Amino acid sequence: MKTLMLLLVGSLIFTVGCSKEKNYAEREIHLVSPEKIFGFDPIHASDQYSSNEVGKVYEGLYEFHPFKRPYELMPNLADTLPTVSEDGLTYTFKLKKGVLFHDSPAFKDGIGREMNADDFLYTMRRLADPKLQAKGWWLFDDKIMGLNEWRDKNAALDVANYEEPVEGLKKIDNNTVEIKLKRPYPQFLYALAMPYSFVVAKEAVEHHGKEFLNYPVGTGPFILNKFDQSNTIVYHRNPKFREKFFPSEGEEGDDKLGLLADAGKKLPLLDKVVVHFIIESQPKWQNFHKAKVDILEIKDANISQTIDEKRDLKPEHKSKGIRLFLTPQLDITFFAFNHEDPLFKKNIKLRQAMSLAYNRADANKLFYENTAYEAQSVIPPGLGGYRKEFKNPYVKYDIELAKKLLAEAGYPDGKGLPDITVQTRNEPVARQQIELFAKSLEKIGIKIKVGMNTWPELINKVTKKQHQMYTMAWGADYPDAENFLGLLYCPNQSPGSNGSNHCNPAFDEQFKAATVLQDTPERSAMYEKMNETIAHEVPWVFGFNRTKLYLTHAWIKNYKTIEFQHSQVQYLNVDLEVKKELSKKF
Amino acid sequence: MAKYIIRRLLYLIPVLLGVSLIIFVLFNVIAGDPTAVLLGKNATARQMADLREQLGLNKSLLLQYLDVVKSAFTFDFGRSWATKQEITSMIKQGAYPSLCLTIPAFVISTVLAMLISLVVAFYRGKGIDLFIRLLCIAGMSVSALAYILAFQWFFAYKLGWFEISGFEYGFPDFIPYIALPTIVWILLSLGPDVRFFRTVILDEIYQDYVRTARAKGLGEIRILLKHVLRNAMIPIITYTVIQIPFLILGALLLENFFSIPGLGGITLNALNSSDFPVIKAMAILSSVIYIVFSLISDILYTLADPRVKLK
Repeated sequence: MKTLMLLLVGSLIFTVGCSKEKNYAEREIHLVSPEKIFGFDPIHASDQYSSNEVGKVYEGLYEFHPFKRPYELMPNLADTLPTVSEDGLTYTFKLKKGVLFHDSPAFKDGIGREMNADDFLYTMRRLADPKLQAKGWWLFDDKIMGLNEWRDKNAALDVANYEEPVEGLKKIDNNTVEIKLKRPYPQFLYALAMPYSFVVAKEAVEHHGKEFLNYPVGTGPFILNKFDQSNTIVYHRNPKFREKFFPSEGEEGDDKLGLLADAGKKLPLLDKVVVHFIIESQPKWQNFHKAKVDILEIKDANISQTIDEKRDLKPEHKSKGIRLFLTPQLDITFFAFNHEDPLFKKNIKLRQAMSLAYNRADANKLFYENTAYEAQSVIPPGLGGYRKEFKNPYVKYDIELAKKLLAEAGYPDGKGLPDITVQTRNEPVARQQIELFAKSLEKIGIKIKVGMNTWPELINKVTKKQHQMYTMAWGADYPDAENFLGLLYCPNQSPGSNGSNHCNPAFDEQFKAATVLQDTPERSAMYEKMNETIAHEVPWVFGFNRTKLYLTHAWIKNYKTIEFQHSQVQYLNVDLEVKKELSKKF
Repeated sequence: MAKYIIRRLLYLIPVLLGVSLIIFVLFNVIAGDPTAVLLGKNATARQMADLREQLGLNKSLLLQYLDVVKSAFTFDFGRSWATKQEITSMIKQGAYPSLCLTIPAFVISTVLAMLISLVVAFYRGKGIDLFIRLLCIAGMSVSALAYILAFQWFFAYKLGWFEISGFEYGFPDFIPYIALPTIVWILLSLGPDVRFFRTVILDEIYQDYVRTARAKGLGEIRILLKHVLRNAMIPIITYTVIQIPFLILGALLLENFFSIPGLGGITLNALNSSDFPVIKAMAILSSVIYIVFSLISDILYTLADPRVKLK
């Protein structure tokens, strides 16, 4: 008995002590997803993490160039950029030939067939299918001739009729598609580069039925090998991936950084991709520093562990070959006023006073280690319409001016002003951010209360206009300022994306006129004007345009931070020699 | 006893009706409209209205309540609103890692706590008793999060004795992943368990029958193990068995920090995404398990003390 117990304990200790050997034979990469994903159905890939996974197995007609900035579209499943009619309403797309779907029991003999025009048209109808309630429908809602009518008609049926023609979706031949829009929609090609419109095969959808979300069958560079819904995802290189090559061009300086060293090589460069779901920051950080994870986004408390006051990587990390990537994000944080609340609706001076009293320098130091930039208005840097020289006169810390404006607003030293509640989500950092905001505003006599909510509660309060103020962040869906300006467009008010219910008829007219224009200097000038008008109006207390911090190990090649990451992994590579050598340091 | 068991199982009916009503009221009256959360940041008013219709949220409250009752009695929970996954398979997939962690941790911590309690009861009032009681109080005074962070940092990251996080399905592959969270669980449980068991054992130790046993010349160890422990079993069974349903529901904090894909995370995600079918399934499941285990504890009473009759 004693021997048996000893053996048992011994074997347990042995099992615990046996760590997995690192793989130096395959080009394998380990990534982290900090949130669980909503499966692999492209039409529901609304969050960044689901999109990243969908983008490994599925592809769209276009994709964002992995290295060029500002962001530039390049053909992916499409052979070229489309030909567009003079009125900007008819787009003709030529699809690549010889693109194969992954092998799947959904196809005859289990062999993936060639993707064609029908697949793309089926994908577009599927986005509109009222039974599926695609999260990506907003991109095409009221945009394509006949598609809304098709959607409405099928809403009454038990199963949508995909055979019924749609005026704006036309197959010219097996590899050519024509799409007619109702009105100019300059963001249309961006919509075709988003995972929602990544091409699926009808046979695969029908074969897997409701389980389609767990059995992706795309044309992408990787094939799903294992999907434990909240543990790990494993992909292998798609052996039948078409002839797609690493780009030979990038942004200026990319060549010197070695980012184009793999130019001309067939994609994907990796043999295997493993995604680990790790929610908490400590295990993420520790796994990276044990070289069990290859790329890591740094947030919150880990920022100060990573960089010094000059925003350089700390020496202890440099010595291991770790590299830091600091990249401004296309996003904005804000404290939104509810413009239907009489307190804020017409009292611009109150809003301006609150903005002037907010100590952004303290907030930047405390929450972002000075890596963020003070948002001057609604459009973040990096998008057309942002002017570097423009400084919002109300985005500065000026207590005296704030007090003066508050008195002019009718509340000298805050007298007569009721307490203001700012709603946020039930997270420590969110609470701390409002507490710092409250501390700032206390100096001019304004009392701020914190309203803590679960995420559903917060969304409900915003969509039902049951808030005075709330705080949130918005990230770009695509690289067009329209995506940010729309947050203040009156027709988008709650339950739409304009949660502050801001309405300014002049701004709305400008928005309508500008957002149907193609990306031209004229449109950029209009965006600039709108951005600066909004800055003076202070519809929100503008917060920050944040910076993304990523760490990679030295053996990861071709990494460049990209806002729209879904196609990125196919361009990454691993230097196995460097990995073998440097891994000893971890 | 059979009659008693049947009657207790029949209690499930009103309990499930009550649980269904409570979660229905909480979700439909207090939580509000889930469609904005489910459709994401770009949802339109029209789309939200369509989804409400599709999810059956426009039906009368009575019909909606009957749907909840139906799923409570058929255990057909359908699919998650948020992830679109089949809820039964989500539960099955989450239950395995949760149980891989919680069962060994629970068994070891309970047995260890019993042994320590017997020792401190044996040496009651002496130095070792005081020392262990102090340790228990000190241990309970530190938050669970501090243990988790410190142990993960020191034993997994610094010393490399354990995996930092993750999980592998299948025995013995999961052992390296659950070993450290199991140790943390045991440490967290020992304080309250030892204090409770010690109190229960000491309550018995001063009873007349113990004096009688001593008068008959029985040794202290025999008295403790054969007489005191047996009589102390009823509160111990109640305390222990009633914890079992919570094992099945997972250990949220440990699962989160050690990236164990258990049921704790599933419930939390469902709450954060207004995923009513999953919330409903977890609430109903936990009620059923709770009732079944309270029944088991009743049956165990009769084994521990033949004087107890189940009527």
